[in-house]
Amino acid sequence: MSAPTQTGDPRYGFLTDATLCIGCKACEVACKQWNQLPADSTAGEFRLTGFSFDNTVDLGATTWRHVHFVERSTDAGMAWLMLSDVCKHCVHAGCLDACPTGAILRTEFGTVVIQDDVCNGCGYCVPACPFGVPQLDHADGGSHKCTLCYDRLRGGLAPACATACPTASIRFGPVDELLESGRQRVSLLQDQGVPASLYGDEKLGGTGGIGGLSALFVLNAPPEQFNLPSRPRLPRQNIVPAALATISTAIGLCLAATFAFRVHE
Amino acid sequence: MTCLDLSDARPADSPVVSVGYYGLPVIHGPHWKWLITLYFFFGGISGTSAVLSAIARLTDREDDLRLARIASFVSMTALLPCPIFLVLDLGRPARFLNMLRVVRVSSPMSMGSWGLALFGVATSLSTLLQLLTDFYTSRESGIVSRLSRPARLLAPVTGLLGLFVAGYTGVLLAATAVPIWSKRPWLLGPLFLTSATSSGTAAVVIASSIFDRPIEAGEAKLHRFEAHAMIAESAILTGWVYALGPTAKPLVSGHVGSILRHVVIGAGMVVPQLLLIGSTRSRNQKRRLFLTRAATILTLAGGFALRYAVVQAGRDSAIDPQATFDMTRQ
Repeated sequence: MSAPTQTGDPRYGFLTDATLCIGCKACEVACKQWNQLPADSTAGEFRLTGFSFDNTVDLGATTWRHVHFVERSTDAGMAWLMLSDVCKHCVHAGCLDACPTGAILRTEFGTVVIQDDVCNGCGYCVPACPFGVPQLDHADGGSHKCTLCYDRLRGGLAPACATACPTASIRFGPVDELLESGRQRVSLLQDQGVPASLYGDEKLGGTGGIGGLSALFVLNAPPEQFNLPSRPRLPRQNIVPAALATISTAIGLCLAATFAFRVHE
Repeated sequence: MTCLDLSDARPADSPVVSVGYYGLPVIHGPHWKWLITLYFFFGGISGTSAVLSAIARLTDREDDLRLARIASFVSMTALLPCPIFLVLDLGRPARFLNMLRVVRVSSPMSMGSWGLALFGVATSLSTLLQLLTDFYTSRESGIVSRLSRPARLLAPVTGLLGLFVAGYTGVLLAATAVPIWSKRPWLLGPLFLTSATSSGTAAVVIASSIFDRPIEAGEAKLHRFEAHAMIAESAILTGWVYALGPTAKPLVSGHVGSILRHVVIGAGMVVPQLLLIGSTRSRNQKRRLFLTRAATILTLAGGFALRYAVVQAGRDSAIDPQATFDMTRQ
């Protein structure tokens, strides 16, 4: 795991491997500790998905790593799929496109970060993310998500979650290296008969307009089982058709109004 | 530590395989609710009444100038609460000025903030010119004739910005990952714009009937225009629901669906048109006034209900993983 240089031209990101994840949640804990995030459900409500140990349920304002526990019935009883989900740090990011204040920016590491001292809590990045990552925090009113440990990267350290992961399920590094080893891992798994795929590899398609992810995932089940959309689309792509249709309607209405006013009784 | 055998613990009737991950939402929905619904409604009225004011001013006939005057006052009045709604909706209201920190073409909210700010300046100037004109008209001063030129120059600017303010909100909702808003992006902007037009026209009609001498010819024009806008609105709404297919479910079923059917379409579109037809046939002046006023108030209520239905349907659509997957499988 190489620490990045500060001048780093290449994009940095994660490769998270579902086949290596043991569901220990060290990544969740390390993330919360380093980023000083409070526990979820501080109001007292304790919740689990299914019968498993997923008490954080979803990525959110105070949970920037979330371990899925997918329960599957097999002939031998219940089987688990585990995967640590995280912000995808998209090459073309919906949240960054949507942010009206410039609070969300692309860093020198190619990552996407919300500047907390600029964010005014408009909440537009929240539904603009095709993966459901950023979320408004009711406690401070701002929008929050994974920073890919921007402060640690600046200091030459790897992100907290990748450092804490005991099985190297979470790997950190330059994205082109991660892509290469992700592809190798997938072909190895496929040779062993595992239905593996590399989620976020633009060459495999499925990232409509997003142009690839900086957080890649080696999956051993269809993406939807981990609540990942198979072919996400970048919301910005809707602006041009929506705007053209609205402008055409505006022209039509103005003509109708002018006509209505021109008719003499 | 004991190892639990959970294979028998699950109730027999609960489905083992649910949609996605335990049926949890794939995307995060918007937090927008009443404040944004109110903004969509008042912003739409303000924008389209500015358009009406501009068109009426440019025709330059005496009747139409009176309409232009009323419409510009309606536009200003409807605009005043808008910044309050928007600022209060922010998670950190004290930082509202950060909206004008950058210009970002990829963000309809950024463009909308700038558009709304410029529209506010233009509308304020238009209103100021109108107030000066009113003030000097009663004093028979020669200044009045000199005020008409800047007012005519300002009119197209205010009108264009008004169209922008009335229409961009639909583009803003379409540029999200919320299935019902984003699946058919080219219909939401036109729907909001035509709905704002019928609401704005209704607001001008009722204001002119209360605050001005009756302008029968002008009102007839407005009603005709309003009818056109409403026909376009109902056609776009029908087309949108049809084009959405199963994604339209949160809009057409349950509590939102009943609001859509009864308030938006029934009370807000069908009844007003029937009342207006009735009013043109009625010879009784008082009864005619009552019918047109009832029609305009119902139109306004329908316009508000449409905004509410679209916002609420978006919230419901966002938490439905099946709706998201239906869109992200092609």
